[in-house]
Amino acid sequence: MRFMVFVRSPDVAAARHAEALLRAGVLLDAGDLVPDACGVSGYWLIDVRDHEEALERVKRIALPACVVEIRQVAVV
Amino acid sequence: MGATSVHRTIDAVWRMESAKVIAALARYTRDVGLAEEMAQDALVQALEQWPVEGVPRNPGAWLTTAAKRRAIDQIRRRENLNRKVEEIGRDVQEATPDASEGIEDEIGDDLLSLIFTACHPVLGTEARVALTLKMLGGLKTEEIARAFLVSDSTVAQRIVRAKKALADAAVPFEVPEGPELAPRLASVLEVLYLIFNEGYSATQGDDWLRPELCAEALRLGRVLAELAPKEAEVHGLVALMEIQASRTKARTGPGGEPVLLLEQDRGKWDWLLIGRGLKALERAEALNQPPGPYYVQAALAACHGRARRAEDTDWHRIAALYQVLGGISPSPIVELNRAVALSMAFGPAAGLALVDEIAGEKALQGYHLLPSVRGDFLAKLGRTEEARAEFEKAASLTRNVRERTLLLDRAANC
Repeated sequence: MRFMVFVRSPDVAAARHAEALLRAGVLLDAGDLVPDACGVSGYWLIDVRDHEEALERVKRIALPACVVEIRQVAVV
Repeated sequence: MGATSVHRTIDAVWRMESAKVIAALARYTRDVGLAEEMAQDALVQALEQWPVEGVPRNPGAWLTTAAKRRAIDQIRRRENLNRKVEEIGRDVQEATPDASEGIEDEIGDDLLSLIFTACHPVLGTEARVALTLKMLGGLKTEEIARAFLVSDSTVAQRIVRAKKALADAAVPFEVPEGPELAPRLASVLEVLYLIFNEGYSATQGDDWLRPELCAEALRLGRVLAELAPKEAEVHGLVALMEIQASRTKARTGPGGEPVLLLEQDRGKWDWLLIGRGLKALERAEALNQPPGPYYVQAALAACHGRARRAEDTDWHRIAALYQVLGGISPSPIVELNRAVALSMAFGPAAGLALVDEIAGEKALQGYHLLPSVRGDFLAKLGRTEEARAEFEKAASLTRNVRERTLLLDRAANC
């Protein structure tokens, strides 16, 4: 299952702490988003078995103060 | 958090952490079998405690510490291993609950050692596959059994025997170096590709577990690529699996019938995975190492992956790559594929010339694709009578009903 993880934070580098996902072989893509009212945003696209695994993997990342949203990618 | 929710979390944590826990423990005990048993014991302890006490803040560190304590108990019972008890005891006391970046290299080395141990050539293929999925993929015995359509006890026995074989052979828990590295790495890559193909080529079995095998092989390949970034063949294998996996949804029609590569709807290909495969291929190329079989197969897959339409395929490059592959891994099957590429690049007569050269090969006798390919070339050259005979021969050799029907249709249309 693929999940899109949105990371919103005033910290410019917040979404760049994705090494653990890369090392775990689950990170498919990552990038920055255009800043909005919440601050700077970035995203990770990860491939994991289920929502619990997505949640656990993201929880394990040492992120600065931020809001994280995890959404499953629809399969066409 | 309800008990069911905690159990789902434990499942997820186990999949993520089990390999690291086993690897860390194996570094101390130097016994992969014991490490795996102690990790399983820690899992049982987690299943008892976490629903009551809650999931700890760092579940991986909790599992590792619990497993090490179990190992100490076990080793204490073996009175002759006091020195190891002291070492592990000291480590448990010094252990901090939070994983830090500083120990990532150590974890990486342990994980790499575990990969090489689980895929040691002293083990048979089935044992290597089962051990890899169990210890590195975090799959349960029953999940492996379902994926390979065998009983739970068969898989359990394979794992027990594999662990015993490793212990009997005194396989060291380490990353091989020097001349030993190449054959050991080849063994690891073979296991990953076998797991991938088991999921990719399967036409029966549980719908969700078999794609899961592809995903797990791909994930382990990506992990290995980060742990061994200077090995071109690792990137080659990752590239090959990424590109092949990209075609999963286009490989079968609405009735489950196979769809040939050139007839697939490329809109159904996963272009994200193709892009990842091409990047992995670039990483392999940047290392400037002699081409290995996985790299060349990935380069072949990339020729198709770069073509948005079938008619854009670079057949000249494909023919040249098959020649390279034939030089590395000589095989009449590779030559047959090269004949197809030659016919696409230079016309059917070029392909037919090569097919006629290899037609006497023992390995191709009884192989239905030889007369099928020859029939195709002959039909394109207008030699219809000969083409019909070849298609009929091919139809008589294949066991696949759909394929037989297709071949007989082609014979009838000659």
